[in-house]
Amino acid sequence: MVSKICTGNYAAAYGSMRSRARTVAAYPITPQTFIVEHISEFINNGEMDCEYIEVESEHTAMSACVSASASGVRTFTATSSQGLALMHEILPIASGMRLPVVMAVVNRSIASPINIWVEHNDIMPERDSGWIQVFCDNNQEVQDMILQAYRIAEGKRVALPVAVCLDAFILSHTVEPVDLIEQDAADKYVPEFSPTGAILDPDDVAAVGVFTPPDYMMECRWQTDKAMRNAVEAIGEANEVFAKQFGRDHGGMIDPYMVDDAEAVLVTMGTASSTAHEVVDEMRAKGKKVGLVKLRFWRPYPSELLRAIAEKVKAVGVFDRAVSYGIGGPSYIEFRNAVFGLDLPVMNFIGGLGGRDVSLQDVRFMYEKLLEAARTGVVKRDITWMGTRGVEQ
Amino acid sequence: MAAQALASAAHAEGGYATAFPFFGAERRGAPVLAFTRIDDKRIYRKTQVYEPDFVVVLDEGLLETVNVVEGLKDGGAVVVNSVRSPEEIDVGIDAKLATVDATSVALEVLKRPATNSSILGALSKATGIVSIESIEKGIMQVFGDRLGEKVGERNAKAARIAYDRTVVGESHGSRVLKASNKWLPDVRELPMGVAGISLDTDAGAVGPGSFLENKTGSWKVFHPEYDGEKCTMCNFCWFYCPEGCIYRKEDRMEFDMDYCKGCGICANECPAEAIKMVR
Repeated sequence: MVSKICTGNYAAAYGSMRSRARTVAAYPITPQTFIVEHISEFINNGEMDCEYIEVESEHTAMSACVSASASGVRTFTATSSQGLALMHEILPIASGMRLPVVMAVVNRSIASPINIWVEHNDIMPERDSGWIQVFCDNNQEVQDMILQAYRIAEGKRVALPVAVCLDAFILSHTVEPVDLIEQDAADKYVPEFSPTGAILDPDDVAAVGVFTPPDYMMECRWQTDKAMRNAVEAIGEANEVFAKQFGRDHGGMIDPYMVDDAEAVLVTMGTASSTAHEVVDEMRAKGKKVGLVKLRFWRPYPSELLRAIAEKVKAVGVFDRAVSYGIGGPSYIEFRNAVFGLDLPVMNFIGGLGGRDVSLQDVRFMYEKLLEAARTGVVKRDITWMGTRGVEQ
Repeated sequence: MAAQALASAAHAEGGYATAFPFFGAERRGAPVLAFTRIDDKRIYRKTQVYEPDFVVVLDEGLLETVNVVEGLKDGGAVVVNSVRSPEEIDVGIDAKLATVDATSVALEVLKRPATNSSILGALSKATGIVSIESIEKGIMQVFGDRLGEKVGERNAKAARIAYDRTVVGESHGSRVLKASNKWLPDVRELPMGVAGISLDTDAGAVGPGSFLENKTGSWKVFHPEYDGEKCTMCNFCWFYCPEGCIYRKEDRMEFDMDYCKGCGICANECPAEAIKMVR
């Protein structure tokens, strides 16, 4: 294995090459652009045997991916922000047709106002699109999760598309050491794609994704729902096999850190998890009982795992890099649902929007508030807009 | 790319390193920030850098507008691209300071004023944080990978020459520069209502920035030298200037050096050769 300094974008592109994606259709958008540029280079250099389809928009990119996947080949694409929004119409088509398309989503703020920096508000509207969604917090994980994504997505049990999310710039444009997976090892982990459903084949004609009357629709929806539930098992297995083969255990659905005897736990998504990891070490050294749950999979949502942790602690904070206007952070809403009925102080911290830095001091602030709530059992402010001018902290 | 090459150099020595730009609209000539973190174990923090150990300044002109040593740790060092000696430079504090004329090195070796590779040689000499051999390797990996082996080699050579020419000394500073809270500009510090509507919100007054404050002329390495004798007043320069900083006067052209970025298009277009780009 070669350890190389590379960006998250490179790691994503490299992962798609090693997974032997055979069709890529993508449209460039900051900060995802380098992913498709790297893929073009791989193809140009003869390193990647893949059909690259140049398209005029993300809507077409996803449409082409759906068609390619429906014809029985492994497909990959990548996008960000407005591009993802433009794809919106086609996303449920991919999941409804049960196509294991894998897409890297470089999470960037959505307009207006225009902003190119990190925020999770671009992917949140796709929560119910039937896509499995995983958030990464380092570049190694980005590469590894592209490979795992195919393993999770493909096969009869799941057969759903996967979005591998990485924070704009903080991962996409930051270089970190990454152990690059060799082709032999990748082939062993991600076997050749064999489609499980009907495929578009001129010699064996079939129609897929066709007009469906009320007589069948409920059953279609139910199957997709069931597939999403089945994904939990597939995600655990993909992680286990990966850990055994490559020696890296990313944790499956969630990655808890120091939660066993913790009084206050913070639930984070994306790179805030990595920064919080350092703060946990620092506060633990001072004898403060804090823990961290890195929420990796957003869909399917790990309700039971989170509830099991929540039952043992005295206060939980949920950090959101997104907001559902008028109600709170999406991850907070989901978490409250998971712990419904438990007598537990839960706080929401909304921060890091549009690329605002989530500093060590910010994370310390969240833990101090949580420890206070753990001590008193009282939540003074349920939703805190971190470091926002004009908003009481 | 320099920040990445430095990270690559540290990685080549067996360390862990991350590097990232200050994410924004990067382009050559404009003031940009980039950071590198180096450690012997995995680095978890994904925050911006507020307290650097070392500061590298690629354009001396920035010393006039930015407090480059803000947050610099005690015992830290500053590396400046300058023809002056360390003792002649005032960064506002007493600090270990190294200088090298990286622009000249770059012009000699690369034939263009791209100082990001040369300055890494100076950083290596001034701080010893990574060896010059590792810097060369890092440059080969980052520049070489992206721009081809030959370009990589030339940039590595520039770093080596800069390493040899770097003067390490002490600077005794006294001048005071306005401190800002963070690397991120605070909207409250921006001039109000110069180019648009200002809004009074709960979060305070929010107004657009203004180029009255932001003199982009500091980006240039070369500036146009105008010869009124040769000028035929054909107005080509005025027409082609992408920045709109050439003005037509009665009997001559006038150049606004506050905003001229030194692109040289005027000199290139001038049929009478009345404009020359000089350093």
